[in-house]
Amino acid sequence: MKQFIAFVIKETKHILRDKRTMLILFGMPVVMMLLFGFAITTDVKNVRTAVVTSEMSPRTQQAVERLAQSEYFIITQTVNTPQEAERLIRRQKADMALVFTQNRGMQIMVDGSDPNMAQQWTTYARQTLSPVNFHLSPVNSRLLYNPQMKSAYNFVPAIMGMLLMLICAMMTSISIVREKEKGTMEVLLVSPVRPLMVIIAKAVPYLVLAFGILISILLMSRYVLGVPIAGPLFWILAVSTLYILLALSLGLLISNVAQTQLVALLMSAMVLLMPVVMLSGMIFPVESMPQVLQWLAALVPPRYYIQAMRKLMIMGVGIREVAHEVAVMAGMTVVLLAIALKKFNVRLE
Amino acid sequence: MMDAIVVNSVSKSYGKVQALSDVSFSVGKGEVFGLIGPDGAGKTSMFRILCSLLLPDAGTATVDGYDVVKQMREVRRRTGYMPGKFSLYQDLTIEENLKFFATLFGTTVDEGYDTIKAIYSQIERFKDRKAGALSGGMKQKLALSCALVHQPSVLFLDEPTTGVDPVSRKELWEMLLSLKESGITIVASTPYLDEVRCCERVAFLDQGKVRGIGTPDDILTQFASIFNPPGIEHGKDTEVKDDNVIEVEHLVKAFGDFHAVDDISFNVKRGEIFGFLGANGAGKTTAMHMLTGLNQPTSGTGRVVGFDIRTEYEQIKKHIGYMSQRFSLYEDLTVAENIRLFAGIYGMDADEVERKMDEVLKQLKFEDHKNDLVGSLPLGWKQKLAFSVSIFHDPGVVFLDEPTGGVDPATRRQFWELIYDAAHRGITIFVTTHYMDEAEYCDRISIMVDGKISALGTPDELKQRLHQPDMDHVFTYLARQATRSSD
Amino acid sequence: MTLKHLIRKEFLQIRRNSFLPKLIVMFPIVVMCLMPWVMQMDVKNVVVDVVDIDHTVESQRLVQQIAASNYFIFGGQKDTYAEAMKDIEKGSADIILEIRDGQYLIAANAVNGTKGSMGSVYLSQIVSAPFSASSAISVLTLYNKQQDYKLFMIPALFAIVMMLMTGFLPTLNIVGEKEAGTIEQINVTPVSKWSFILAKLIPYWLIALFVITVCLLLAWIVYGITPAGPLWLIYVLAMLLALFFSSFGLIVSNYSDTMQQAMFVMWFFVVCIMLLSGLFTPTRSMPEWAYMTTYINPMRYFIDAIRTIFIRGGGLYETAHQVLALAGIGALMGCWAVQSYKKNS
Repeated sequence: MKQFIAFVIKETKHILRDKRTMLILFGMPVVMMLLFGFAITTDVKNVRTAVVTSEMSPRTQQAVERLAQSEYFIITQTVNTPQEAERLIRRQKADMALVFTQNRGMQIMVDGSDPNMAQQWTTYARQTLSPVNFHLSPVNSRLLYNPQMKSAYNFVPAIMGMLLMLICAMMTSISIVREKEKGTMEVLLVSPVRPLMVIIAKAVPYLVLAFGILISILLMSRYVLGVPIAGPLFWILAVSTLYILLALSLGLLISNVAQTQLVALLMSAMVLLMPVVMLSGMIFPVESMPQVLQWLAALVPPRYYIQAMRKLMIMGVGIREVAHEVAVMAGMTVVLLAIALKKFNVRLE
Repeated sequence: MMDAIVVNSVSKSYGKVQALSDVSFSVGKGEVFGLIGPDGAGKTSMFRILCSLLLPDAGTATVDGYDVVKQMREVRRRTGYMPGKFSLYQDLTIEENLKFFATLFGTTVDEGYDTIKAIYSQIERFKDRKAGALSGGMKQKLALSCALVHQPSVLFLDEPTTGVDPVSRKELWEMLLSLKESGITIVASTPYLDEVRCCERVAFLDQGKVRGIGTPDDILTQFASIFNPPGIEHGKDTEVKDDNVIEVEHLVKAFGDFHAVDDISFNVKRGEIFGFLGANGAGKTTAMHMLTGLNQPTSGTGRVVGFDIRTEYEQIKKHIGYMSQRFSLYEDLTVAENIRLFAGIYGMDADEVERKMDEVLKQLKFEDHKNDLVGSLPLGWKQKLAFSVSIFHDPGVVFLDEPTGGVDPATRRQFWELIYDAAHRGITIFVTTHYMDEAEYCDRISIMVDGKISALGTPDELKQRLHQPDMDHVFTYLARQATRSSD
Repeated sequence: MTLKHLIRKEFLQIRRNSFLPKLIVMFPIVVMCLMPWVMQMDVKNVVVDVVDIDHTVESQRLVQQIAASNYFIFGGQKDTYAEAMKDIEKGSADIILEIRDGQYLIAANAVNGTKGSMGSVYLSQIVSAPFSASSAISVLTLYNKQQDYKLFMIPALFAIVMMLMTGFLPTLNIVGEKEAGTIEQINVTPVSKWSFILAKLIPYWLIALFVITVCLLLAWIVYGITPAGPLWLIYVLAMLLALFFSSFGLIVSNYSDTMQQAMFVMWFFVVCIMLLSGLFTPTRSMPEWAYMTTYINPMRYFIDAIRTIFIRGGGLYETAHQVLALAGIGALMGCWAVQSYKKNS
């Protein structure tokens, strides 16, 4: 037991002494939360609109004013011909143009480069311009869970999924491989300490670190971003713990395969980071991908965690509704851990 | 007497390379046994098999009566091992490293203190310094302390004294011999002949085979051509001119309030072989870094090949060669590519490079290895190659920082032949070493103690002045006066 | 002259490495073949549960329309709203459409704000089509007429590939030399700072040239997408971006001691640069403080410019501003890289 504690202390010192890495580890969540919470949005605002008209009539005047008064659009320029407007858009001086034609018609000319935004801009512009009173329509829309459509609601669980995976898997694998590379692993193996204990002792500080980061993310999301924690806190933490264990087993597995830090880094980056960002549904919805990729995405652990967290944290459902995700994660943990321990070398080579 | 270690026809190969073939020997309880042999002889593989870190392909081995394959846990409980490339935890302090390893082996620093005192007391003053900030020799001392803090029944030491100064090496061996008295069996490998003589019996390994086992004297006489090559005659016909290539006055390098180099002054004449000696941490490497323009001095002046080390260091670099403590050619380039690269950096003409390269490779007998990756060469060859590269552009002076660390005697002799050859061509040699026989080869030597130069002169002058029989004693006499041990 | 030798050395080392040549060839190919399929931000396959209490012909027709739409998948008829809510909570449905007394209620799961709002807008367009008179406003979509999200994302992918290849490889390279100790040997030679740094940068620019060519070819072969604007300008932009990222990588490695440190620092900045560049979401939607940072973000200029060339068919005149900004930032970083490399401390 004394040896175990000495080990944990040693490992903790390694982490604490490397100030730059520490700074990144704790700075990363903060910056990510701020970026995703505030900066990464697809809100429609400040759409630069050019007006194309040969002469200002009361009719055009009214339409232009409507646009200008809305919070979404800013009128930047008035030009005479649609060609001029097109040039403005091409030069990135305008995103959209409102064209008044001779025969009292109106046309929205929009930069279609980004199909999503183009779609949204035109929808907003139409609503702003059209005289139809929407209150008369029998259609009533309601946005559940996230009525203000804050992107933070979507991203907070995703950031948790990414960072926990990164810290647990990447950091543990690198720290084990570093001992191999520096030759200290030989001494540890020859010492009377059981190899399994070496591994567990290595994982403990990262487990604590992961929890620290988890808590700070939760606090930030609640008090800085104003994302409510709607579900039971106990289950959020319990599912997170399972996920952390999953990530640790993955890190252990990588450390068995990799012989040098460089390989461990590249493997973590390619096996973990890329799929996590791309296939976990963090930024790009999995449902929109082709079938083959959806199958591939089914193998990415953070996918299940992120989905479970979105449900637990944001939608506030009970543990029963995430049983599927939890079961998959538990299964993955058992399999990965079993392989990692079986493959763990008590000898060199 | 029961044997502590029995090795029976052990073989091991890595792919096509046969590291060990049919090796058998036994070591008695409480014996100090040496494993000697050139680089790549299979010593490290043998150690790893005995520690149960590697599985032998064939044959059996027992340690303390336990089979290294089947009874791994028992073996590991009873052995201590210090690997050759053991590098400790760079970001932990000296004390933290020691404490960690003590706890790891189920003991405490206090309990083991007496065993390691002789060595640890030298670095204890700096116990709050991080291991990464120590010089090579200091690290080795710390590693030894960590390996010896517990008292296993069998101790394996793989070249434990590489880069350690002679005084500390003596202290280490005194310590090991006292361990033997408490019944510990010790198996050590070493390239130093004086250490070989400290063993009771040695096994000479070469190309994975045991060539001979016996007392050190028997083996050393039997294989005299390898271990005890005839000393080389220093052709005194090299002209030492009167102009100074290196002039140093009151040079100081301080890190905070610690003066690594503390007010040193000396001159080196053109064509001289100047030995720059000192204990680990006396400030040799720091001084050399200032002379080669890698570091700025804190105060004092220095001129190398006529240029100021403070302002004209880029000029200096054009006229010097340098071979660092760590092997520093590109391992992933071939021999020829390394030569072409460095020759190209010094702006040598391509045709001349090719011509001279053939000449140099012929001299080194390397013609067949021109297109081999440097990483695949044995250590001794690498060192010879590195030296040849560092003087390839005919510099005015070449700086060699422990060029022969960990190299076997025969190769060291060849290395010094190369040095003499270079000196003969008028290249000034500035060399640091821990081998006192090499110190005798120098024209003049200086011995640094605690950042200051405490003796300077020809080897004969120093021996006379200090009334010592040989350089080994001169060095021990001076180094024992040191009050600090660190850089 | 010495530069030639140093560059040859870099290439030999890259070639000798067992991993790098494979990475340099495979990485762009894998990214270009896979990622456009992944990076689909357009809203598709939204599952709609219908709670039809009216059971009229109207509502039947609506269900058919939903099932026929590209955007929606008909998730099934549910008897009560509560039952449909269960589906939402389980994650098996995204939107509920309740039809009661001729009134329509659309309730969308808006955890993913874009998906929720877009889905409900599309759905309400379908539902309210019979009620609203056809709008007098017509829409002309410029450039990306098929509304193909791939066309929008592929230029951005170029940026990502370039960033990873020219940013991370030089970083690992210098830190690697530090850890191996060979940098000390170089430091005592008379190599000038400029030639040493240039020798580190030039191979990665050539790799960047190769990579961007592979990317352009793949975009054409696999997706049939070709740049609408001049090709040479794309190469100019790519080189400028490579200049920035390779210099940036060298700066990070000059200040780092270990590979791990360098990788983490690099990764941190790369993520920030990427997210704040308008690669995924429009810069104009950002709050003021975030938008201000885009003025010094080279990636933003690159993305703006390459999309203008690729999609909008602009030339040098349309992108002069971005090219200049990118060149300025790149040159600045290059100088810093040289400055931060110390041969004498």
